[in-house]
Amino acid sequence: MEFVRNFPFISIILSLFSGPLSSILDRKKAKWWNMIVIGLIGAMSLAVLMYVLGTGEAYVYTMGHFTAPWGNEIRVGVLEAFMAFFFCVVMFLCMLGGIREREAEIEESKQNLYYVMINLLLSSLIALIYTNDLFTAYVFVEINTISACGLIMIKQNGRTIVAATRYMIMSLLGSGMLLLGICFLYGITGQLLMSNIQEQVHRIASEGSYHIPLLVSMGLMSIGLAIKSALYPFHGWLPDAYGYSTVSSAAILSSLVSKGYIFLLVKIFYRVIGFDIVMDSKVINVLFVFGIAGMIMGSIDAIRENNIRRMIAFSSIAQIGYIYMGFGLGTTEGVVASIYHIVSHAATKSLLFVSAAGITDVSGDSTDFFDLTGAGYRNKLAGVAFTAGSLSMIGFPIFSGFISKLLFAQAAVGHTFKMLPTLIALAISTILNTIYFMKTVIRIYTPMRKSRDREKKNTVVRMTDQPLKSAALICFILMNVILGLRSETIVLMIQNGLKMFG
Amino acid sequence: MSGLMILSILLPAAAGIFLLLSLVFHRQQSQAFAGAVLAVSAVLVLATAWLGGGEKSVTLFYLMEDIPIYFRVDEVGKLFATIVTVVWVAAGFYSFLYMKHEGMEQRYFGFYLLVYGILIALDFSGNMVTLYLFYELMTLCTVPLVLHNGSREAIMAALKYLFYSMCGAYMGLFGIFFLYRYCDTLTFAAGGTLNPELVNGNQGLVLAVVFVMLLGFGVKAGMLPFHAWLPTAHPVAPSPASAVLSGIIVKGGVLALIRTVYYLVGPDFLRGTWVQTAWMTIALMTVFLGSLLAYKEPVFKKRLAYSTVSQISYILFGLAVMSPEGVTGALLHTVFHAFIKSALFLTAGVFLFQCGKTRVEELKGIGKQMPVTLWCYTIVSLGLIGIPPFSGFISKWHLAQGALEANVGVFRWLGPAVLLISALLTAGYLLPVTMKGFLPGKDSTAAAEKLEPSRMMLIPLIILAALTVLLGLFPGPLVTYAGKIAASIM
Repeated sequence: MEFVRNFPFISIILSLFSGPLSSILDRKKAKWWNMIVIGLIGAMSLAVLMYVLGTGEAYVYTMGHFTAPWGNEIRVGVLEAFMAFFFCVVMFLCMLGGIREREAEIEESKQNLYYVMINLLLSSLIALIYTNDLFTAYVFVEINTISACGLIMIKQNGRTIVAATRYMIMSLLGSGMLLLGICFLYGITGQLLMSNIQEQVHRIASEGSYHIPLLVSMGLMSIGLAIKSALYPFHGWLPDAYGYSTVSSAAILSSLVSKGYIFLLVKIFYRVIGFDIVMDSKVINVLFVFGIAGMIMGSIDAIRENNIRRMIAFSSIAQIGYIYMGFGLGTTEGVVASIYHIVSHAATKSLLFVSAAGITDVSGDSTDFFDLTGAGYRNKLAGVAFTAGSLSMIGFPIFSGFISKLLFAQAAVGHTFKMLPTLIALAISTILNTIYFMKTVIRIYTPMRKSRDREKKNTVVRMTDQPLKSAALICFILMNVILGLRSETIVLMIQNGLKMFG
Repeated sequence: MSGLMILSILLPAAAGIFLLLSLVFHRQQSQAFAGAVLAVSAVLVLATAWLGGGEKSVTLFYLMEDIPIYFRVDEVGKLFATIVTVVWVAAGFYSFLYMKHEGMEQRYFGFYLLVYGILIALDFSGNMVTLYLFYELMTLCTVPLVLHNGSREAIMAALKYLFYSMCGAYMGLFGIFFLYRYCDTLTFAAGGTLNPELVNGNQGLVLAVVFVMLLGFGVKAGMLPFHAWLPTAHPVAPSPASAVLSGIIVKGGVLALIRTVYYLVGPDFLRGTWVQTAWMTIALMTVFLGSLLAYKEPVFKKRLAYSTVSQISYILFGLAVMSPEGVTGALLHTVFHAFIKSALFLTAGVFLFQCGKTRVEELKGIGKQMPVTLWCYTIVSLGLIGIPPFSGFISKWHLAQGALEANVGVFRWLGPAVLLISALLTAGYLLPVTMKGFLPGKDSTAAAEKLEPSRMMLIPLIILAALTVLLGLFPGPLVTYAGKIAASIM
């Protein structure tokens, strides 16, 4: 067995155990150790990706050589390895871009805790991506939730504590539903390993028995994960959680944590239940309707919002809506579009959060819309980065957002019932996106009168003042452009990955 | 041949980016560099367009599975690329001197070259997605030209321009999604690629979608409900930039409309539907209203911008009647308007540069100070009004003919009537400058000193005026060429 095959397992363990290590290192060292770990895991995931692309098929890794169902299994295909690699890159850049804010906003004694949380979060994300065992997935979902809560309330003020509590309650509700769904499934199939469950589910479906328990279980798992990833009617916890936490947290939560759950849902659809059976059930129609509602309502909320951070948070709701709409189409193209959008949104949203921090930074730390006047001149790079992110969000060609819109439209055409609602929702939501993102871009480039500038004590930040953040922003912009221009490679990878998934 | 095409797009774009990124150039060096690149790429573009026969196309790479970035030189593309090149070179050489008083020349020339490359790519786009890509890039890269002087007014105008254009483009994109479903292919083909079997039963939907696209791409062309950005954005730019914005960039909208209507949807599908009626109505209203607003406008450059609103809708009306003559007229007017409107803005630039005059009533007696400039102005004005033997007459003749021969009900006589009224208004808002300029009256205090600009600025102006005369006197080949295009896409 090649050594590369061990990498997914090593990634999880390395991240899990560097948590305790971070808590005893001193603050500076913990920070760098954390970055190194993320970088290492990213590199290992890249190696795994290359390996899997080379062999062209997924492999199963049995922990400790105990074969399932006694031992635990990891299953690695192109899609998993790509996601793990991509998540590491985004997380690395988010951490890099938010260093200054973190050190200013978090109490010194708690900073080590932050790195512990990040390590746990990363390990749970990677485990969610790789695991082939439904119950292991559940365990890591919980670890993920707890560490995400920590990330929200590590910046201690009233707002974040309320936000974290709300997040906790909603998230636990979601986990509870997921657990119930898994229990039902276990009850009717007697298995916990994903591939084994699928065999059983197929048998049950062909026999026609246990129709209702299966449906209930699918519904519970879908809605449970939908709550956790803030699909429209269950999004109440999101704006505060993203809006008031520290930058790296907000960026990581919006671009990675919610995406991890969505990825798990894809896995459940494809590997646990089987896509045909999910298609036949009406669960995806519910997701479709919620997704469309989210696309519109999220954008409307964002338009009415005057706090830039919360505005970006509301935009996340709309984008999550896109992703679920793609699932709701019930075709492989739809799922490919959704997965591409997961990638594209992660790249864009984290860029927006980090650049928004740069913008508010030079506006007297105010997130209020009107205080941002002229911020694009005070921090040039953040202004450009925010504009690039906005353009990507509203689907400007050469940026990644354009490709996801095209993919969604492509997936939608040819549907008998869902084509028209999808395209109309895409159009409306694009226009709404344009309104609030361009409104903000116009605001940050509206020149402020000199006298007011001085009286407000706004500062000016040059690119070289914050080299780390500048580097992160530039990488993010490049990532968006590359995703926008070389999308074919990635789409092919996603398609291959989905084929290996089943 | 395909290498030449890519080079003609890439060279100006890359040179522009190089100019933007490099900080070490002196003023003269950057000018010499820009001038050389402009000249070389103009030659390249013309060679790509006119040299060698046969199919010239190149697929750059695949954006998605069946959506390539694909360029192809076709008749309409050739025509547009040639107009762009003539105006771009003329305004470019004019800029060398003019931009001295605006400053930030390196940035200006950087974007100027970049936009040139993008426009050539736009003209040679072979499918709708490629066109859309460069359409949006054109918007984005012309924004710095609008906000060049950095004043609050200019920045707000540029942002207004950006916002209107993007919303318009998204309306277009929405339509592209649908056409992807109902057309056989998004690659342009004369006469349209709409698949009748798929459309069957969904005519209402497709018509509505096409209408949304017309409105969306119409934003760029200054068509009525969304024309407000144009008189704000064009005048605040430096004059040579205004010239290319008004002469060329708005034609991007025209090109997108031609491609949508004649190369994807097909005129046969639209002829006689409510979409055609609505389009003609809007175009005529824009023609009339634009002229009226120009007539009432006291600021010279704003007046010219309103005139653009009106004149572009002449073209749109010609496209909307969907008869061969009408389309011929529209294509001719595209050419003539590009030369004339650029020349007009360049004159406005001369007035501004030499004596800082911006309002029409300040221009009294200017003919004594700069006779050559004002003569050029007069010639192109007469061309725009449509007085023979100048070029505008030819295009308007064909437009009116097109309306009369088409089966469009009340528009058969209403169209030519509105065009005539608008021509009178055009005379009303352009000629007073000439009259007051040469005949200031007794109470004029203007000194008779010579203020004629240097040759660098005068020669582009004279060339454009000469083109107006020449194309008016010898329109034969061009009319044949436009007629051929019109016949092929009907």
